[in-house]
Amino acid sequence: MRVVLAMLRATWRAATSYRLATVFSLAGLAFTVVPLYFVAGALQGTMERSIQAEGGQYFAFVLAGMVATMIITEAISTIPSNVGSAATSGTLDSLFLTPTPPVVLFAGLSAYGAVWTLIRAALLLLGGAAFGASISWANLPQALLVLALLALAYVPFGLLMTASQIAFRTSGPFMSGILLASTFLGGVYYPVHVIPSWLQSLAWFVPLSYGLRAFRKLLLEGAPLLSVWSDVGMLLGFIVVLGSVGVAALSLAFRYARRTGGLSQY
Amino acid sequence: MADSETLAQGTPRVTRHAEPDAIVVQDVHKRFPSPRSIWQTLRHPGQREWVESLQGVSFSVAHGEFFGILGPNGAGKTTLFKCITGLVTPERGQLTLQGHDVQRATRQARAQIGVVFANERAMNWRLDARENLRLFAALYNVARSEVDDRVEHVLRLVDLADTGQRLLGTFSSGMKQRVSLARALLTDPPILLLDEPTRSLDPVSAQRFRDFLREQVVTRERTVLLATHTTEEAFGLCDRVLVLDRGRVLATDTATRLADQFADQVYRAWVRDPAHPALRDAGVRLLDELTSADGWFVVEFPDLGTGHDAAATLRRLVASGVEVSRFERMGLSLGELLERVVAQRGSRA
Repeated sequence: MRVVLAMLRATWRAATSYRLATVFSLAGLAFTVVPLYFVAGALQGTMERSIQAEGGQYFAFVLAGMVATMIITEAISTIPSNVGSAATSGTLDSLFLTPTPPVVLFAGLSAYGAVWTLIRAALLLLGGAAFGASISWANLPQALLVLALLALAYVPFGLLMTASQIAFRTSGPFMSGILLASTFLGGVYYPVHVIPSWLQSLAWFVPLSYGLRAFRKLLLEGAPLLSVWSDVGMLLGFIVVLGSVGVAALSLAFRYARRTGGLSQY
Repeated sequence: MADSETLAQGTPRVTRHAEPDAIVVQDVHKRFPSPRSIWQTLRHPGQREWVESLQGVSFSVAHGEFFGILGPNGAGKTTLFKCITGLVTPERGQLTLQGHDVQRATRQARAQIGVVFANERAMNWRLDARENLRLFAALYNVARSEVDDRVEHVLRLVDLADTGQRLLGTFSSGMKQRVSLARALLTDPPILLLDEPTRSLDPVSAQRFRDFLREQVVTRERTVLLATHTTEEAFGLCDRVLVLDRGRVLATDTATRLADQFADQVYRAWVRDPAHPALRDAGVRLLDELTSADGWFVVEFPDLGTGHDAAATLRRLVASGVEVSRFERMGLSLGELLERVVAQRGSRA
């Protein structure tokens, strides 16, 4: 934990030394919420019936979808992109040469991105609430728990891409593919049950479908945690299965990179 | 490993003890697939060619020894460093650091070393020196209560204690390299691995860096493994050097002894009268460009044979009345030395 905090602190200080980028990143949220408010208002009548089970208010529905997308994007991209940039800048060698285990290094490299995304997600929700999004604040802790599980279900994809990054110096096109499939099939802009039935069966393989449905029920409807247990169970299943695959891939990638010399740039 | 065996003539500082050597590299082999174009890969997907980077490399470095690795580009120095640090797994062979096997006990082995890369981007340029060192102190598990003291101590050691909150990116190359060294010294490791540490330094900074290294080895009894292309480092710092070429060890000795062994028997003398008959008889060549302002001419004897022959020639000249102020055998630069070792021994390997 100490190492993760030290890396978080260092990355925070380095990132906030780019003051204008920090300001733009926060200001960008305003440009997300305001248009969303008007577009959602215009579509409210069309969408209202199909999203009855998930709050019934399209603005809040899409807002929750965007928060979840923000979280899974970070979960997938943070480790491979940080490992990639550390490899390019030359800091990765020095990190791997310390006695700190790789898993802790990865957690440390991702910590700043995770915290920053949480801050942005919280500001997005607060901004949405200020524009009238109907949010059950009492259920926020349970909703955050589901978001954390959702993030953990997507981290293994990040591990697979990190494995590819370590072994072949590229994470390939997987990130955009996974994000596109998740956004398309996971119900970010519309509920899963409105898409054609043959596509719905593909959506069962997308963790976002379960996570987002549970998140919305908790945050927008104020439903109790027990009512979403099946979705939470599916997320746990994804974490175990995909997590094992991700860890195994990473371990193989390390072995391969040590054999081929790809672990180090110098 | 022999008890109290002096390692090298002219450098009696290092003696071997009964305990295991600090660094032991034994019969290490490493090969990499050679890069192929997409077209070649498509035409012969199953065919692979290999580049032998290390071919049975063996050597050991005693505690407190300053050991240099020399070799032309592509000799295998960097691969050897990667193997020693555990970043690359060799096909065959064994590497130990202070008795810890690099492959089997990587973490313990790594705890014995501080590494300075030639690449000074090894740290975060958007942080100041202290922040960088505090981060690495955490990564190296330096006790929380000791971090500030250790950081200040190593910053003082490398003469950077007064840099305040200046970001590393604004430091000169020499300062960045000193921060890298400070990081390597954070845990007070018994072994320092330095990969061309003065490559990007100006001559004055490089000299100060070398002085500091020498002091570290002498006063702290650290073992240093240094990859270098610099004459001053090979001849002035290293107790012994190893010459590597195409993954093979061609020679291991003191740089001075190797230079002596591979140098020609060419001598130069500083004389008053280059036209003296005794000099003409000896077949010397006058080096006009080296004539000094105070009237001493430099003449070169192309081949005087052994040291005894040279001494005899000098005696004859003096007996004939030739005024000689200086008489010396021409040494080799590091580049010439490498070229000759590779040419003579590389072809035999």
